[in-house]
Amino acid sequence: MLWFVAARAMAVADGTVPAVKEASAGLYAQAILGLSEEACRAAKSPEQIGKLTLVDCLAGVHGMPREQAEKIMTGVLMIAFADGCMEPLEVRWASMLASACEMTDEDFQRCCASARVIASMFNPSVPSIEDGGEAS
Amino acid sequence: MSEDHQSNFDFMDRYDHRVSHLGGQAEQYVHSDPESCLFKLRLMVEMMARRLVELQAPRLADLDLIAILRSLEQYGMLPKKQADGMHAIRRDGNAAVHGSETPVPTAMRRLRDAHRISAWYCSMIQRGVKVRPSQFVPPPGPAQADADALKMHQAAEALEDQIDTRRRATREGLLLFTEDEDLPTEVQRLVSELEGLDRVAQAAGEPLVDAEFVAVVMAMEMEQLLEHPTLGLDTREAKREAEKQYQQIKDGFELREAMYAEERRALVLYHQRERQSRHKQG
Repeated sequence: MLWFVAARAMAVADGTVPAVKEASAGLYAQAILGLSEEACRAAKSPEQIGKLTLVDCLAGVHGMPREQAEKIMTGVLMIAFADGCMEPLEVRWASMLASACEMTDEDFQRCCASARVIASMFNPSVPSIEDGGEAS
Repeated sequence: MSEDHQSNFDFMDRYDHRVSHLGGQAEQYVHSDPESCLFKLRLMVEMMARRLVELQAPRLADLDLIAILRSLEQYGMLPKKQADGMHAIRRDGNAAVHGSETPVPTAMRRLRDAHRISAWYCSMIQRGVKVRPSQFVPPPGPAQADADALKMHQAAEALEDQIDTRRRATREGLLLFTEDEDLPTEVQRLVSELEGLDRVAQAAGEPLVDAEFVAVVMAMEMEQLLEHPTLGLDTREAKREAEKQYQQIKDGFELREAMYAEERRALVLYHQRERQSRHKQG
């Protein structure tokens, strides 16, 4: 459940919910975190997720085993990379999460590199509306 | 459907005659030649997608259908429900063109999808006009369907239901938010919490992994990502774009820090004046 709170915060940090971020978050949960489809659905029920704040999420990841916390950090960074654009509140959330996980600078850099690799695999070659397809 | 029978797609004739005509043709084939029905529906979806993309982003119109639909979806121009229906028609239409046998109930289901999408499409091309189509009426089948055909239709119908249920479950599992959630409220709540955390960091000091370091590392990775073939920028463009994004973030942090310092200065001044005034009175 902490994954979904952390992922939601990163996905909406620019005030919108782009589809590309939504889809990559779901794929990551099942493919990398190993959550079942049923577990993903249950975690998003209002009774479960509605009560959690971002501070609860930070406290939750703080108490997590290191490996699991790094996977969450990597996934959250992957969401930030999904649209090829970074925003101030995305950076803030990444900084808060990494600090809550008590990461070293090297840990964070490693998570960031893994996130970039995964984002490049998930990211379909869709050109942006602004450049009208020249990037495809 | 006989020639004198009204078509479910008549309502859209005044908005887009060609698409309406294709819908009418698809209806006529649904019982006699379901593959042709799907072929017409696929063409109908392609025309709708191209018209939408011409209105919103004309330079994307040369892409193939799946790329157009994905672009429209990714940039929030195609709601999930409509996207599901359009993808289903595209997928089944492609299968029909490549020789897959299509049961009548599958074609009928896609016809129903096309009818639902059509109303939304008309309101999009008419920029928000309320379009109220009449309820979908399944085109009547041959008067005497044999028992075996009926049995086959029921089995196909049950299978379609299972596929729909499965698809919905997959979607619900994958998406970050459920369809019942009040998305704008939830987004606002999360953004407010993030802004709160940002203010705490400004006032109480940066946390263990500070935001500027995070921005530098993310910008370096972003540069490499932008160079990736799927995003396709060349090395110089990627570097320029990553630097631009980093600079914007840095400027934002500096601005907020300056605002916070200004607030502190004003507060200190206020207290000094208050102390001085108390001193004079004393």
